[in-house]
Amino acid sequence: MSTMEALPPIRKSITVDAPVATAFETFTRGMGSWWPAGSHSIHEGRVEEVVFDEKAGGRVFERTATGEEEDWADVLAWDPPNGFTLLWRVNPERGATEVEVRFTPQGEGTRVDLEHRGWDAIGDAEGRTGYDNGWDFVLRRYSEASTSE
Amino acid sequence: MKTYEEAMNALGDPTRRAIFERLGRGPQAVGELAEGLPVSRPAVSQHLRVLKDAGLVTERPDGNRRVYRVEPGGIAALRAYFEGFWDALLADFKAEAEAEAQERKKP
Repeated sequence: MSTMEALPPIRKSITVDAPVATAFETFTRGMGSWWPAGSHSIHEGRVEEVVFDEKAGGRVFERTATGEEEDWADVLAWDPPNGFTLLWRVNPERGATEVEVRFTPQGEGTRVDLEHRGWDAIGDAEGRTGYDNGWDFVLRRYSEASTSE
Repeated sequence: MKTYEEAMNALGDPTRRAIFERLGRGPQAVGELAEGLPVSRPAVSQHLRVLKDAGLVTERPDGNRRVYRVEPGGIAALRAYFEGFWDALLADFKAEAEAEAQERKKP
């Protein structure tokens, strides 16, 4: 709807007492070590690992002990150790939100800037045809999460 | 604005989620929605009421029909949820990255 009020990107920044390479690798390759997959995932307690394909065009997905996989995101941009961009989706044809994370040296540590954008695209009910799966994906991942916090 | 929890509870039901997603492709009347779903028209109306109470859809009369559409404020609630979600996640990430940095410093 054209009269809809714009929803700005979410922007978060933190500094981490770790070199850029360590911060980047922990965020990506090591995502399973800190992401609360027991609550914030599709299979929840059955998730055995979180896999981050380290390349543009790769995907981020969860895998259970029995080998079931559910995609979380596509890797849109891959620029180690400076940053990456994810498209959170179910179907690659469909719209979803984007998450970009940048890593910048700051003294001995790293500044991490996260931007979660694309809210207007999923909220535009009039002119678009493609965000239903994006919604489904976001909701599947986070519906249970809300009750655990 | 309705809370994120209300919106999530409303969308916890698969039929309501299907209705909501259909409305995401454009406004529809109850009858149109019911044609594409394996539930009765009264059931669709009931689900729409829950979605409306949760602030996810709005309705307006169009002749003798009532047309439903997605309420942009529902997305605002979702976005508001993520604001807090990322704070919690980044705190966990920071702890892990700093532990990893200490580990790598060891000879």
